[in-house]
Amino acid sequence: MSWFGFSIGIATLFTIGLGFVWVIRGERYFGYLWWPYVLGAGILCVIGSVFFSNNWVSALLGAFGASLVWGSTELKEQAIRGELGWYPFRARKIRPPFADRIKRWRAPSL
Amino acid sequence: MQLNLIGLACAAATFFGVWLGHVSVRKIERDVERIWIPSALALVLGAGLEIAAFRTSNLALSAVCGILGVTLLWDALEFYRQQNRVREGHAPANPHNPRHARIMATHSKATTIDWLDRDPRGIPYSNEELRQSKELPA
Repeated sequence: MSWFGFSIGIATLFTIGLGFVWVIRGERYFGYLWWPYVLGAGILCVIGSVFFSNNWVSALLGAFGASLVWGSTELKEQAIRGELGWYPFRARKIRPPFADRIKRWRAPSL
Repeated sequence: MQLNLIGLACAAATFFGVWLGHVSVRKIERDVERIWIPSALALVLGAGLEIAAFRTSNLALSAVCGILGVTLLWDALEFYRQQNRVREGHAPANPHNPRHARIMATHSKATTIDWLDRDPRGIPYSNEELRQSKELPA
């Protein structure tokens, strides 16, 4: 009998729950064009997780990285939800570096 | 240096668990009339995976079961949250599903339009624009 998987499962649930919050807030103040940076940060977390010998750290970093990757694919839809009036809309966003170039890429949405 | 693959396994379980849950809850809620059935199945399967997480001695497998289990338990709830989105008109109703047909008859906001099937444009929609796009087929 091991509590490891169950505990990691519960922690992952809260990590994903946190995703709801930062996707909504992040999109409101920063805009969906940050998605490549969020995606990159998520991938870095997942890659980084293999270098930690502590199983808890490795597992939580991997799950957190995956939730960042998932969140990066939610930002575009969240931007539309804000424009539709389903969430508070803020016109002045803190734009990411290379925003104009990113705008020409197709934002992922799964 | 020894690489620890537990994080990688957890990342895969989290990403694919959320992705698969996201897509299949929407599809099943759209097509199935009595959603308590898929919801109960997700509940049983999720609980089963949590029991498996306790019983296995392999830590990576235990973590994967734990993560997939909680995402399935969440999906059981998400069927009802998705139904609420249909009632609110935030997710498109399927008129061929009798349950959705009833929702459309009793909830004025319910619609077959998929509002999210567009690109962000940077400015909010006015009430007039929203009203017009509700009258025109998307």
